[in-house]
Amino acid sequence: MTRSRRQALIVAAVAAIAAFVAGCGGSSSSSSSAGGSSASTGSGTSSSSNKSPITIGTSLSLSGDFAADGQAFEKGYQLWAADQNKAGGLMGHPVKLDIISDASSPAQVVTNYQKLISSDHDQLVFGPFSTLLTVPASKVVNRFGYAFVEGAGGAPAAFGNGLKNIFDVSLPVVDNLVPYAKWIASLPASERPKTAAYATSDDPFTQPQIPLAQKIMQAAGIKTVYNKVFPAEVTDYTPIATAVASSKAEAVVLGSVDVPTVSAFVHAFIQQHYNPKSFIATAGPDQGDAFLKAVGGASNAEGIMYPNGWYPGYANAASQQMVNEYVSKYGGNAAGVNADVAEAYSVGQAVAQAVAATHSLDNSKIISYLHSGVTLNTVQGPVKFNSLGENGAAAAFVFQWQKGNQVQVLPVGASGSKAATYPKPNWGS
Amino acid sequence: MTARLTVRALLVAIAIVILGVFPLVFSNPTTTSIAVFTVIYMVAASSWNMFSGYSGYIALGHAVFFGVGAYALTLLANHLGFAAGWGIFALVPVAGIIAGLIAIPTGLIALRARRHTFVVITIAFMFIFQLAASNFAFTGGSSGLQPPTPLWSATSYNDHFYYVAAVILVATVALSWLVRRSRFGLQLFAIRDDEERARGLGVRVGRVKLSAFVLSAIPIGMVGGVYAYFLGQIFPQFAFDPLFDLSIALMAFIGGLGTVWGPLLGALVLESLQQYFTVQSGASQVYLIIYGGLFLAVILLLPRGVIPSVEDLIRRWRTRGATQDRSRGEGDGGRRADVVKAAGAR
Amino acid sequence: MSASSLAKAVIDGILTGGVYALMAAGLTLIFGVMDIINIAQGALIVLGAYMSYVLSVHLGIDLFVGLIITIPAFFVLGVFIEWAFMRRLRDQERTAMSILVTYAVAIIIEGILSVIFGVDFVQLQASYINSSFHLLGFYLPYIYVFGFLLAVVLLGVLYYILYRTHFGRGVRGSLQNRSAAELIGVNVNRVRALSVGIGVSVTAAGGMVFGATNSFNPSSGYDLISRLLSIVILGGLGSIGGALVAAVFMVTLEDVVAVVWSPVWATLVYYASLIVVLSFMPNGLFGRAAIRAQ
Repeated sequence: MTRSRRQALIVAAVAAIAAFVAGCGGSSSSSSSAGGSSASTGSGTSSSSNKSPITIGTSLSLSGDFAADGQAFEKGYQLWAADQNKAGGLMGHPVKLDIISDASSPAQVVTNYQKLISSDHDQLVFGPFSTLLTVPASKVVNRFGYAFVEGAGGAPAAFGNGLKNIFDVSLPVVDNLVPYAKWIASLPASERPKTAAYATSDDPFTQPQIPLAQKIMQAAGIKTVYNKVFPAEVTDYTPIATAVASSKAEAVVLGSVDVPTVSAFVHAFIQQHYNPKSFIATAGPDQGDAFLKAVGGASNAEGIMYPNGWYPGYANAASQQMVNEYVSKYGGNAAGVNADVAEAYSVGQAVAQAVAATHSLDNSKIISYLHSGVTLNTVQGPVKFNSLGENGAAAAFVFQWQKGNQVQVLPVGASGSKAATYPKPNWGS
Repeated sequence: MTARLTVRALLVAIAIVILGVFPLVFSNPTTTSIAVFTVIYMVAASSWNMFSGYSGYIALGHAVFFGVGAYALTLLANHLGFAAGWGIFALVPVAGIIAGLIAIPTGLIALRARRHTFVVITIAFMFIFQLAASNFAFTGGSSGLQPPTPLWSATSYNDHFYYVAAVILVATVALSWLVRRSRFGLQLFAIRDDEERARGLGVRVGRVKLSAFVLSAIPIGMVGGVYAYFLGQIFPQFAFDPLFDLSIALMAFIGGLGTVWGPLLGALVLESLQQYFTVQSGASQVYLIIYGGLFLAVILLLPRGVIPSVEDLIRRWRTRGATQDRSRGEGDGGRRADVVKAAGAR
Repeated sequence: MSASSLAKAVIDGILTGGVYALMAAGLTLIFGVMDIINIAQGALIVLGAYMSYVLSVHLGIDLFVGLIITIPAFFVLGVFIEWAFMRRLRDQERTAMSILVTYAVAIIIEGILSVIFGVDFVQLQASYINSSFHLLGFYLPYIYVFGFLLAVVLLGVLYYILYRTHFGRGVRGSLQNRSAAELIGVNVNRVRALSVGIGVSVTAAGGMVFGATNSFNPSSGYDLISRLLSIVILGGLGSIGGALVAAVFMVTLEDVVAVVWSPVWATLVYYASLIVVLSFMPNGLFGRAAIRAQ
């Protein structure tokens, strides 16, 4: 029949054209020299007086669900690259970043790392943002034998897949709340909260953290009066927050993944005139200015605690320098710097040290080096990888918002820890 | 008549050859990676079109079958102790059948509703499955599941998945074409054009709709399994993703709803363009504006989809100056279904 | 779980349901009158929230006062959207095509907002956002009460327009039978444009209340649209009162389940109950029987 024939003809023609375009798009990068045709790298070999640049590829969530974190990561990677180049680059070669966006999509991230490695021929790669993307990406990168150093895929789901190439420079997520739980449990009986409420988002990042903390606190006699999981996509936090408030728990442990979640709870607590003595949230308060803007200012943030491996005031020379550079390049103030920036920067530092130590860009040598038990230094503190790729040396700190600043308060007695404000001042007072 | 048939068969053969040699010619893993996803979406769009395009009932919940296929394959592979490698692909048809079985109760409930309500019910089912997958321990909860990872080399890894998906694609298109030409297909078109009239003329409306619904679930379940195996990880919000539903509907529409080749074209263009765009675009959110603008332009200028509109143009060019032919409303598959024939030939 | 926490859940449900009704009102109007599924509704709500944000942060205008500006602005926007995009959809496949067209519009809106505002989350602030008043042992947040009242008022105005004015008769007439309506002199194109304009203008208010009760960024619209669609269908296409009842039902049910059982099952129970209700009442709670063939 005529209609079908014409249809088939059109499809065949368009298919041929599309295939041709796709093939050209894919293969043109592979036919040129290292540096490729992607947007950020620019030309391949530079002038004869400079050495050829080393390209490091990464896929970041510059749009979509993880956009805020992805963009912070990008800034961290770029800051690192600029500083590394000032210090002479990697083995004397300038560093160039090859950053492409994955729009927070796992399908895209799979394609992206293949592009970075086999089309753009980047010598090294850095990890993306979030466990959700790290897992599929790590498998792709493993096939090519590349080292996969990342700073934001720390949930248990990322490790133990039998992959030897994955290295997370940041604190393993599951231990996040332990310093807090230990501190609360160690308070004198008259001050210690009698009851606690645990509420967590249904997420591989938050859920593993709660049971550990709960065990420690229950052992100290702190009764659990509320313990529920809520869906990650809930549009109305009010009933959950109200239920927590109704439980009149003296301590609240919130497993949150982002600013909107914590913000919703804070607003609901204020509306319910509920003032727990202590309030800790696993993520959200670490986002600096974005957190303050959402909860309505420093006074509402006062006393809220959160775990992290880093904060802008961290007393580490390299960290301070990074914070200053960030502020002069992007504006804002030191307290507003997002922790993601430090995570990204640390990835760069770890890789740079591995390259320097092995005097090569050979990924298998880098992998062996990183697994050798060596301790590296980053703006987040020391880094030492165990056999799974987790950072066993990562210090778990707890921070607290005090008068608009993020202050390290736990572990008590650790270098840089200040006194914690306890009990948390009442909202609206 | 024979000549036309031969030409058409030849064109189909060429398409299959292109499909077959594509990864050999364009062997770069980036390209084959995009190709795997593109073929998966071509199957999904084509399969969706087999139900929604032919019957006119717009379903926005077929992600249920995609996710069920993904989880089914992974659960079976893990619990039955399959070793990573070619063997797991044997589970793909099983995943498809499981998806088809799920389609029976969901279809029975959803298809009792009018068209508008039907859309919402399919969406509701999608969320129910997503939430259930997030909350049950055996589906891994929010941490999801991981199938075994095969040890193929990086350069040819994607090709395995590509070929499995390509075989599914050929089967799906063949099925779609067969349905379209069959009495069953005519009944579907009759339902699309005027359901009450079809029913009055004796078409077993409920049974026909349900059969098409179940049939359309099977290929989608199969590529859901392939997807899970390819990615090496399934999380509930990506296995059951509302954007998946919108995407395959968009692809079918743009290509030409109700045609056999339209959804393929739509998926080919949209999926490869989308991955390509994202890879090149970086942080600029401007690409969203361009993307949306392109959509709008295509939809408004070619409202029946690319294929029917281009067809129209060709036909009008050919018959320019000739007397106005009584339009048979072709191309968009909206050819006036011969309702009497459908009802009579039972 | 006590009686008072149950009662609190019901009260929360009613108040928050009002917010959702306000967001869904425009959708049901457009859907019911135009047979168009407006997937861009979520994006429009976010746009409304950002407009209120700009007025509040940069011009210091109170959120509710700012509605005097945003509601007419959105009316114009709605008329434009109908004229530019929806008018071109042929009657035959209007519903199906509308999904695509409005999805494309939603993407464009999201892109524009991302370029202007970036991706960080913000929330509308005002002195009354965190305060509540004490009533019968419960704390009722002002913003939710105001939002609920605003919803009732605006929905009442909408109802009045649709059922008590000449214009409204024209709207309902052209829904039932376009040719007949044209025959008696109803300018169907104009009626449709104005209907969409009105529907979108209510959305400005919905956006403001949404932005005052939630953190949002340009992508926040996608989570909303499925819920809003379900409210509209549950309530009955084109029924303003139905949208209110359905919204209150939805949120109250979820809140009660969250308290009585567990939050993770709340949404699932809602969607399951939606399916059950629709199986028995296919036109929704307040929908009339189909007037014309689909």
